Amino acid sequence: MIFENVGFYFREALLSFRRSALMSLAAIISTTTILIIVGVFLLISINSSLFLKNLESQLEIIIYLKDDIPKTEVKALEDNLVSINGIKEIKFVSKEEAYQRLLKDLGDQRDILNAIEVNPLPASFEIKIKDPKMIVQIANQVEKLKKVEEVEYGQGIVERLLNFTYIFRIVGILILALLVFASILIISNIIKITVYARRDEIEIMSLSGATHWFIKWPFVIESFLQGFISAILTILILYNFYFFALNKLQQAVPFLPVVWEKVELLPIGLIIIALGSLVGILGSMFSVGKYLNV
Amino acid sequence: MIRMFHVYKNYSNKILALHDINIHIRKGEFVFLVGPTGAGKTTFLRLIYRGTVPTKGQVIVDGLNIARLKPNYIPYLRRNIGIVFQDFKLLYNRTVYENISFGLKAIGATNFEIREQVKKVLNLVGLERKKNVKPHLLSGGEQQKLCIARAIANEPLILLTDEPTGNLDPDTSWEIMQLLFHINIRGTTVIMASHDKLMVDKARKRVVRVERGRIIEDTQRGIY
Repeated sequence: MIFENVGFYFREALLSFRRSALMSLAAIISTTTILIIVGVFLLISINSSLFLKNLESQLEIIIYLKDDIPKTEVKALEDNLVSINGIKEIKFVSKEEAYQRLLKDLGDQRDILNAIEVNPLPASFEIKIKDPKMIVQIANQVEKLKKVEEVEYGQGIVERLLNFTYIFRIVGILILALLVFASILIISNIIKITVYARRDEIEIMSLSGATHWFIKWPFVIESFLQGFISAILTILILYNFYFFALNKLQQAVPFLPVVWEKVELLPIGLIIIALGSLVGILGSMFSVGKYLNV
Repeated sequence: MIRMFHVYKNYSNKILALHDINIHIRKGEFVFLVGPTGAGKTTFLRLIYRGTVPTKGQVIVDGLNIARLKPNYIPYLRRNIGIVFQDFKLLYNRTVYENISFGLKAIGATNFEIREQVKKVLNLVGLERKKNVKPHLLSGGEQQKLCIARAIANEPLILLTDEPTGNLDPDTSWEIMQLLFHINIRGTTVIMASHDKLMVDKARKRVVRVERGRIIEDTQRGIY
């Protein structure tokens, strides 16, 4: 049934595109606008998510060791640390290394150290962890080990940071859900208007004895095309705008982590295409259905 | 062809549109449905093409029970019914030709069939020379003829017309009536809702009078 009349459906869809060019243009412009808003938010959210991840990955636990610790026990302690779950990376910093680092950090002011005769810095382990949420738990676990003088992980600040990233993510997801929901509503309303403008045709077809699907197909195809074209336009605009903005941003804040990889941007493109075309298809089916029951 | 048994129709908030309607309209009949505005004439017609379903009672059209007709079958019922509306329902952004071919395409006619049928009905109603004109350039009578042409294009068994002579002068009205008689003679059952006393009296066909939702008179060769 559908294949028999495919030519007719497409001709009708394109014909109505031409016949109501202004209406179609208005629909495409408004759909594109909505999609751009969604797209901009998506771009901001993947970048801020990268930023947060970066921030969290810098979290580490530093374990200061007692000064009297023999080499063998250092090894034993390291083995102990390896057996703890959730640790990504362990780095041993000897007393000497710590001293050298301090020298380097002090730079021109290294003379201060001349006043001290012995190296006052303890040896330490620097630990990177897999999941930032585990940091407090792991720190507590490490504290109980023998020969550990002190454990430092930015107590107080870490909790606040994690809290912040958590809330930031939740709010982001909520806003995104709201935006997607709003865009679905708006796009389907745009379609409703274009269908409403042609309700007479629907009624006449229905009264002439056309089957429901026969009436729906041209509308579905037309709305799909409208949505698809809007999505492609949106992607073209966002693509150019995004890399332009990224270049500017990079000049202003050079070390800010941003998403350059086009592959990582692909899901956003797919979401936009899905939003535009799927909502077009479903919206037109529902809207036409409303005028069919005469 | 059309039978109604104890048909009641209530719209929402209990407005009674039709009350205990019993009627039998045979194949090939010409029936006037007369009565004041709001008597239920349009509802009567709507029941036949399943524009609405009876609240109570049975409506049988060409062997199909309207109340029990599955939605999938409605299109096939309607292919046997031509409808001429009071408000024309023409597509004003399409030509005379396209207005007729539109309905034929909708029921899956081939291009060849469409060309032949449109030519035939345009000849019948006398609009063949205006086939490329948009409807708003036609006179009232011509628009009515276009509606009739569209309604009979797929050669339906039943033709329903709602006040087809409502806004026309007597001469044009009579022309429209002649056209409907002609269609009727060729075998189509015609039901015409009207309060055009002049036409009804001149025609001397079966007259069914509806008032406040009830049939109060049903006479062969009747007058208004």
